[in-house]
Amino acid sequence: MSKPAALLQAWSVHKTYLLGRVEVPVLRGASLGVQRGEFVVIQGASGSGKSTLLHILGALDLPEKGTVTFDGRNLFAGSPAARERYRNRDVGFVFQFYHLLPELNVLENVLVPRLTGQSFWSWQVARGGVRRETEAMLERIGLADRAKHRPAELSGGERQRVAIARALINRPTVLLADEPTGNLDAVIGGEILDLLVELNRAGQTIVMVTHDAGVAARAHRRVVLKGGVIQEG
Amino acid sequence: MYKWFFAWRYLHTRLIALFGIISVTLCVAMVLIVLSVMGGFLDTLRERARGLLADLVLDAGLLQGWPYYEEFDAYLQGQASDIVGTTSPVIHNYGILRVPSSNYTKPVQVAGIKLDSYPKVNDFRRSLHYEKYYPGSTTLAPQRQPFAGFHDDKLVLPEALQEANARWRADEKDSKAIKEFDALPYALAPSPGPRVYEAHPDGPVYDGDEWPGIIVGNDVINRRESDGSTLRFFPRGSLMVLTLVPITPAGNPLGEQPVKLFTRQADDSRTGVYEIDSRCVYVDFDMLQHALAMDAQPHADGGFTAPRTTQLLIALKPGTDLHAAQARIRGVWEQFLLSLGERPTADEMQALRWVDIQTWEDMQRPFIAAVEKEKVLVTFLFAIISVVTIVLIGCIFYMIVKNKTRDIGILKAIGASNRGVATLFLVYAGAVGVVGSILGIAIGAVFVWYINDIQALLIHLNPKLRVWDPSVYSFDTIPHIVKIVDAVGIAVVAVAASIVGALIPARLAGKVWPVEALRYE
Ligand SMILES: Nc1ncnc2c1ncn2[C@@H]1O[C@H](COP(=O)(O)OP(=O)(O)O)[C@@H](O)[C@H]1O
Ligand SMILES: [Mg+2]
Repeated sequence: MSKPAALLQAWSVHKTYLLGRVEVPVLRGASLGVQRGEFVVIQGASGSGKSTLLHILGALDLPEKGTVTFDGRNLFAGSPAARERYRNRDVGFVFQFYHLLPELNVLENVLVPRLTGQSFWSWQVARGGVRRETEAMLERIGLADRAKHRPAELSGGERQRVAIARALINRPTVLLADEPTGNLDAVIGGEILDLLVELNRAGQTIVMVTHDAGVAARAHRRVVLKGGVIQEG
Repeated sequence: MYKWFFAWRYLHTRLIALFGIISVTLCVAMVLIVLSVMGGFLDTLRERARGLLADLVLDAGLLQGWPYYEEFDAYLQGQASDIVGTTSPVIHNYGILRVPSSNYTKPVQVAGIKLDSYPKVNDFRRSLHYEKYYPGSTTLAPQRQPFAGFHDDKLVLPEALQEANARWRADEKDSKAIKEFDALPYALAPSPGPRVYEAHPDGPVYDGDEWPGIIVGNDVINRRESDGSTLRFFPRGSLMVLTLVPITPAGNPLGEQPVKLFTRQADDSRTGVYEIDSRCVYVDFDMLQHALAMDAQPHADGGFTAPRTTQLLIALKPGTDLHAAQARIRGVWEQFLLSLGERPTADEMQALRWVDIQTWEDMQRPFIAAVEKEKVLVTFLFAIISVVTIVLIGCIFYMIVKNKTRDIGILKAIGASNRGVATLFLVYAGAVGVVGSILGIAIGAVFVWYINDIQALLIHLNPKLRVWDPSVYSFDTIPHIVKIVDAVGIAVVAVAASIVGALIPARLAGKVWPVEALRYE
């Protein structure tokens, strides 16, 4: 069912959690292929393992069985350094709960992925360009005037925009978004969705988790996670 | 790069960073204060102990002393001139000091010294007061009392003293000392002052009977003010009477009556060791030897007894190893005893057998003994304090980093490396440790430097707040020197403790998968 040529590919991924002494299998051989430029939505009931799968796709967590390949490379066979580069350059992750750094202002939160991997000196050289780029990014998500604000001073929708900007600042090949509209009201959620659709039109590959059918309708393709496996919708 | 950026940011915006800095500061300051005061205490003790004696001391520990010291001195110069420098005999005894002008009476320890050689084997000259302002004027030889008087409508001292003072002014580099002197050169008795002379209607003169000089321990007759200055009540040259009990070579009191020695106060001495300055007076060796009947006395069967001393101080030539010299001079002493043959009487031989050659450290052992015990206790307490401090700092950083585990998850999720995250917290903790250490060293050093002023202030507020009692702690001032080695050492350990405390949780958090760290509440 999955084409080997896919850009990002989950191969029969298994993941089990321990609840007390009881093993709870969450993923039981989930496979999913994402093509370049695609907008894939993963749907499923609450607790079905959507976040778990997305984390594994982003190399934020380790599957027990099965693996993930990106551009033909096995994420979990390579070195930790290779995974770090993957997280930093190849994917951008948007969390349901934003996960912004509270000490940093909006601008800084967005450019942090740029900071990692820079040496002290190379940063001195790059900082001007990165700053302009970051400002342009904030412009694009409509938060240019909030650059100096702390996350705590922003609304939920604004925080999620910042999180998206942060995920995109390194121009990742794939954007992974875990219920980016889950905590937002319909209007704000709709705006976030518009933003993602627009990004996708500009060529951004997106994998998004949601259980909102209306949202799912706007994607190229929707799959459903059920019983630990992916069922093409 | 983000490590520096984050470390900086955390430092700026986290209240907990402030707490971290404050705790490091306090810990560092506390340890520095304890180390400086206690370490200074022990160092001063050693330094003073050495300055009071000489490198090596021949002592029998007997009040009646031991004979043939002059012969031994000559023998020693012949056998070991390559290591032996100046030598100087000292007689120690006890007596009663009385100032007739005021009936002021005190028991004292009397030292008979040779003022030409004694200051060459130790730091005694530095302890003298009048000798500083009127160099060359202090002598133990018979002397009259110097009086101030009007000369050309100006109150002046006898010419010799004026000239001596002029010499001091010419040589003194400390302009503040000269200014202080000029503000109050001396007081006229009966007013107390830093220097006190009596006035004479006939102008500046030396007057009165000639009596041998005596140098009196600063705290025997003077009063020390809480600001550290000394108030002198008796004019220089005051008559002082020493009452002594002579002792036979066998150690029995000689005769029915104690002897009285009339002296004039030539100077006072402040070694800084309270036990000594509150008890000791110094008179001429030969005079004391004679007064105590320790000089050559006619024998019942004709002939004379050998003169005795209680100590012979030996200064070694520079660069000589103390313990090697001690061993060698012991050998010389054994040979010397053999060379004496049949000359010593049975009593004299008894005394000679008691003589031992000790280093200044051995000598001061009884004096140091009480403090040695204290040192063990202090070292132990200090070890506990240090460990507690290090653990405390480590714990604080452990907590700080635990609090930031979610940040570690976020950073890892956007591609920060394991090592990078650890480095970030290392930089952060290092920065907190460095800032805290610098502040702590500064606060601790200032506290130590001004510790005597702080105590003076406390005493001023309430005399009960005196924490440093000179009669208990030997020294009249609290040690107030900060050693750079101590300060740097403490700072290094504090920074290391901060980094280690932070590194452990940072490494642990860095190792888990980002999702695990993110889940951390
Ligand atoms: N660390 C964990 N330990 C134990 N159970 C977990 C853990 N993470 C997730 N789970 C469980 O795994 C299941 C799937 O979780 P998740 O992937 O978050 O589902 P979804 O995102 O679809 O709501 C849930 O039942 C959840 O309770
Ligand atoms: Mg979820």
